[in-house]
Amino acid sequence: MTQSAPDATRRRILGAGLGAVGLSAGFALIPAIAQSGEIVFGAAPPITGVFAFAGLALHQGLGDYCEWRNTKGGIAGRKIRYIGEDSGYKMDQAMSVFKKIMGAHKPPVFYGDSTAWAKAAAKEISQMGSVLTCSPSFSSDLADPKNVPYYFMAGPTYAAMCEMLLEYIDRTSKGANKPAVAIVYSDTEFGRDPIPATKVKAQALGIPIVQEIVTKPGSVDVSAEVAKLRRAKPDYVIFHGYVLAPIPEFIKQMREAGMSTTPMGTIWSMDKTTVDAMGAAAEGWMGVLPYRYSYDTKDAPTMQLIKAYTAKARPQMQYVPTFYTNGWLVGMIFSEVIERCLKAGKALTGPNMKAALESIDNWDTGGVTGLLVSLKGHQIASGRIYMYDAKTKLLEPASGWIRTA
Amino acid sequence: MRIGDFRQSYEHDEAIWQTPTSRAWLAVFFVFLSVFPFAANAYIVGLACVLGIHVISSAGLNIMTGYTGLISLGHAAFMGVGCYTAAFLAQRGVPFFLTIPLAGLMAALLGLVVGIPSLRIKGLYLAVATLAMQFILVFIFREWEPVTGGVRGVNVPAASLFGLDLNNDTRMYYLVAFCATVLLVAARNLFRTRIGRAFIAIRDKDISAEVLGIDLFRYKLLAFAIGSFYAGVAGALLGYFYRAMTPEYFTLALSIFYLAAIIIGGLGTMLGTVLGAVFMTLVPELLRSTVSLIAQWAPRATEILSPMQEVVFGLLIIGFLVFEPHGLVEIWRRVRRTFHLWPFRA
Repeated sequence: MTQSAPDATRRRILGAGLGAVGLSAGFALIPAIAQSGEIVFGAAPPITGVFAFAGLALHQGLGDYCEWRNTKGGIAGRKIRYIGEDSGYKMDQAMSVFKKIMGAHKPPVFYGDSTAWAKAAAKEISQMGSVLTCSPSFSSDLADPKNVPYYFMAGPTYAAMCEMLLEYIDRTSKGANKPAVAIVYSDTEFGRDPIPATKVKAQALGIPIVQEIVTKPGSVDVSAEVAKLRRAKPDYVIFHGYVLAPIPEFIKQMREAGMSTTPMGTIWSMDKTTVDAMGAAAEGWMGVLPYRYSYDTKDAPTMQLIKAYTAKARPQMQYVPTFYTNGWLVGMIFSEVIERCLKAGKALTGPNMKAALESIDNWDTGGVTGLLVSLKGHQIASGRIYMYDAKTKLLEPASGWIRTA
Repeated sequence: MRIGDFRQSYEHDEAIWQTPTSRAWLAVFFVFLSVFPFAANAYIVGLACVLGIHVISSAGLNIMTGYTGLISLGHAAFMGVGCYTAAFLAQRGVPFFLTIPLAGLMAALLGLVVGIPSLRIKGLYLAVATLAMQFILVFIFREWEPVTGGVRGVNVPAASLFGLDLNNDTRMYYLVAFCATVLLVAARNLFRTRIGRAFIAIRDKDISAEVLGIDLFRYKLLAFAIGSFYAGVAGALLGYFYRAMTPEYFTLALSIFYLAAIIIGGLGTMLGTVLGAVFMTLVPELLRSTVSLIAQWAPRATEILSPMQEVVFGLLIIGFLVFEPHGLVEIWRRVRRTFHLWPFRA
């Protein structure tokens, strides 16, 4: 008798565990509630996993845009329904969410989570020919209307971002000799993506690349790399392929070594929360961002709208991250494409939406981007250089808006 | 109620499916596998393909770790070898029925290399050696650009059979189901042979096994080769399924995933392999579906509940390990016993 009690408890617990799994299975089999006439926006944002720092805000931005748009009557009188499921920043999971949402709701547009997803799904999407896609990836391989016809990015490619940094360096250089530049990037697909194009652009501008350093994405000990930079004496160091680490450590050690080099970054290292996390190393930090910051609302009605909407709908959100802005802008582009198709009386097929996307030219985003937008090349090839101001603790514009070819 | 299971010959004693009831269930299961894609939507069929690939790979790891006692933390990298081999050959027009076994053989060849240190080291030391191989192979995937496409990855042409492209989930399902069935049956039969029994003897006590005349070096290498072959085949199928692959897929986390699958399912049993792979693949999916369902009524629930999924999944793993250390297979056996002896208490 004394032995049967724990055994029974164990079985009850196991039973409860299996029951919970069974209950989940039951839930999964219940068909989703769908209403006719709705336009579904599908998404697999990385709400958890290594990209969660941005994924949640991307999800919120896209979801909030749909909610706001519905208060304005939706798209051509049809309501939007946003369905986003966490991808965990895992390719398998993102593909599974994609297939699930596509199978159940057949959305005309889908927001993925990464370069890996975009590449893995590209063939299936081309074959389906019924969905236009986007993701947080700005990989150069994906801004390719010919080979990846149903994908666009709500910003410039990483290569274009680095080109903008070089343009800025070139335009602000004084004297006969061009400033020397070093490139530090992570040993990932993300990190390596813009490097060949950056070298070509530097050569075209006559800017010498004096050092090229590859590190692990989150490496900690960078003293050997900083020693190389000391010897190379660059005027600028472009960091790419990181979010935060090891950038602060690089800057700290460079400062300790007495270097006056200006550190620069690209989109994912440019959110205010990320730069704030650099602490003292943020002083003098520069970088490229294709959007305005949420506090920069002057003459930017969409930024004013985002500020007002989040103040009302998300009062706990003290600062609206750039990732949120990206999600909102993706929602705007999806809606614009669908609206153009519906107004022209065309079905929401891949080829029709691709044509509508490519017809977007001189489009006003309401100040999210500084220049009028063209999506002919499936990317928004413009951005602005910002610099961190330690006094205001804000990233302030250091240049006008730059458009790349 | 079944009251007896009489075995009157050695053949009967060694049979895998010993009773008419079990054979009937097996037939039902195969019929179910055959008609499944017609009854399920694209998402479920796609999930079944991924599950099948995970089952094959987990079976390979169970042969190495569960049956032979050789811990490997480099299993994902062997899948990568299979995937890149298949991609390389498929791009050159080699048909899939050759690329898949060749991918397995290439992985097996590398498995032999990794297996060499296994004679001198075992346990955690061997785990570290295989871990090193994981990193070396992933480094090669990233750097050997002409073959692997580097960090940008590779495209894998769709498998084609008599002019029919296996370019959708339903068609791929039959290929994956066929490979999984053949490889699981082969693995189950392996342990009715001298080789399989040698593996088990090595796992239980390698010194005793050697005293009994088992060539440790040969059999350990063989275990690595067979396990890696399974991983290579799984990798090739993965390549054909997604038709594009980057090195970032074959991470240490994937190797840990397979290790977790065989531990949760039950080390040293093929049924445990299947149950573990099912658990590791489907439970996160079911949890996410639950969150998605709740989000229909509370749209912002996704933001709060998505991170909780990971916690719940982790707790479920811990729960199963604590309350059923022999794995899911033991629960399955208990359930079966209950039905066999019903209405009497098991």
